[in-house]
Amino acid sequence: MAAAIILLFGGLWEGLVYLGLPLPAGGTALHEDHGQLMVLGFLGTLIALERAVALGAAWGYLAPAAAGAGGLAVMAGLPGSLGEMLIGIGGATLLAIFIAVHRIQPSLHNVVLAAGAACWIVAAALWLAGWSVSRLVPWLVGFLVLTIAGERLELSRMTGTSWRARMLFVGAMTVFAAGLLAALAAGPAEAVPGEPVPAGIRITGAGLILLAAWLARYDIARRTIRGRGVTRYMAAALLSGYVWLAVAGGLWAGIGQMADGPAYDAQLHAVFLGFVMSMIFAHAPVIVPSVLGRPLPFRPLMYIPLALLQASLMLRLIGGDWAGSTSAWQWGGSLNEVAVLLFLALAVTLAARSRRVARAAGRRRGAGDRGRPPRRAVRRADARSAAGPLTPGE
Amino acid sequence: MALLGGQPSPEMLRDLLCEVIDPEIGINIVDLGLVYDVRLSADGAAEIVMTLTTPGCPLGGYIEDAIHDTLWGTPGLTGLNVQIVWEPPWDPELMMSDWAKRQLGWR
Repeated sequence: MAAAIILLFGGLWEGLVYLGLPLPAGGTALHEDHGQLMVLGFLGTLIALERAVALGAAWGYLAPAAAGAGGLAVMAGLPGSLGEMLIGIGGATLLAIFIAVHRIQPSLHNVVLAAGAACWIVAAALWLAGWSVSRLVPWLVGFLVLTIAGERLELSRMTGTSWRARMLFVGAMTVFAAGLLAALAAGPAEAVPGEPVPAGIRITGAGLILLAAWLARYDIARRTIRGRGVTRYMAAALLSGYVWLAVAGGLWAGIGQMADGPAYDAQLHAVFLGFVMSMIFAHAPVIVPSVLGRPLPFRPLMYIPLALLQASLMLRLIGGDWAGSTSAWQWGGSLNEVAVLLFLALAVTLAARSRRVARAAGRRRGAGDRGRPPRRAVRRADARSAAGPLTPGE
Repeated sequence: MALLGGQPSPEMLRDLLCEVIDPEIGINIVDLGLVYDVRLSADGAAEIVMTLTTPGCPLGGYIEDAIHDTLWGTPGLTGLNVQIVWEPPWDPELMMSDWAKRQLGWR
């Protein structure tokens, strides 16, 4: 967890340097590998940690440990590709976690999650092989998009998704995967101006649009937006993320290549900040308690960083990348980071406060009665046996 | 919610579990069909047998904590154990209540 936070700050710092702000650069690795460090180092560590906690097996923690240590090694510029290899091991262990889950209970959504982990491994392998970020970035996107899509598919079961809906999902994912493979087949060379552009990025973009359409139609957020409190907040963050996913798909499909410049900035940050960061803002109230064991109570204040993220990203993409205003781009990009830091600060404050409140309540209750019943270890039964009949007073 | 000789009943605990809500869906774990069994021993220790929608569900810790927080302080309850099982697998069609299905737009 600490490693993930350090990687986040390193990545954010380099983001500001990339935006052209007058700051000391954070070293070659931090600059060249900003994308890999943010996606595989920071988010990879967090996602792997979340999955390791869910599986509850000690070996599963190798995934976040290796990813976090690998990210720090890359950031520190350790020689011999040690960091890249550790990150690769993290991805492979995450894949093993999904295989373990499959053996407990096989499902389509788990296969999608496993495919996401496979994308992580491919991205790490291409990185080790020396491919440039712009060539391996579809696989970074593949890791995050498939991870999120798998989770949403799982939750969509609650809305009674039909066989047809599931097949439409498989169709969208097939287009997306075909695009990734086509981009891979095009090789590590950068696009040459004037030459025909390989179709991989366009197909991948079409896959993203199809997925966004599927989520807009079948995801539970469309129903839960009518709920209250945290449920409504999560739905709002999810739905804004889906809009950005569609925007990203449009940019990928329309531009068709990944080359430095404003278009590239928009292609990457629509998906990584617009889609992925909105997903993180959405899930924080449930993931933080699961991973850290501390409650993160919902407060309407959480809408502020969410709205700032959306507004600043629009400023960056429309004012900066599209209209060509450098100051809009820099303001938008810096405010993107302010939104992330604001959310982080809010989450830390709320989690710390709720802990104090819980302690105080514990003292009050403890004075009057026998307090909380002793908590025995929660058993994650490996036994596959069905629960027995209701036996009151046994 | 009458107490049986100073002890809570499994039905009462099940009613209390209706306050444990999946935050993302806004529906409680009982109506979602995740609670398979509520057992109570003679000395007042409860065992909640439940499942999660999937074995890789990251919400497990959150739900378990919410159960402890909800049942904590129930008069007569001397212990609490949450057991997560994967058999039978959760099946929304069969296990979700009609009310929950209506809330989530099942047709």
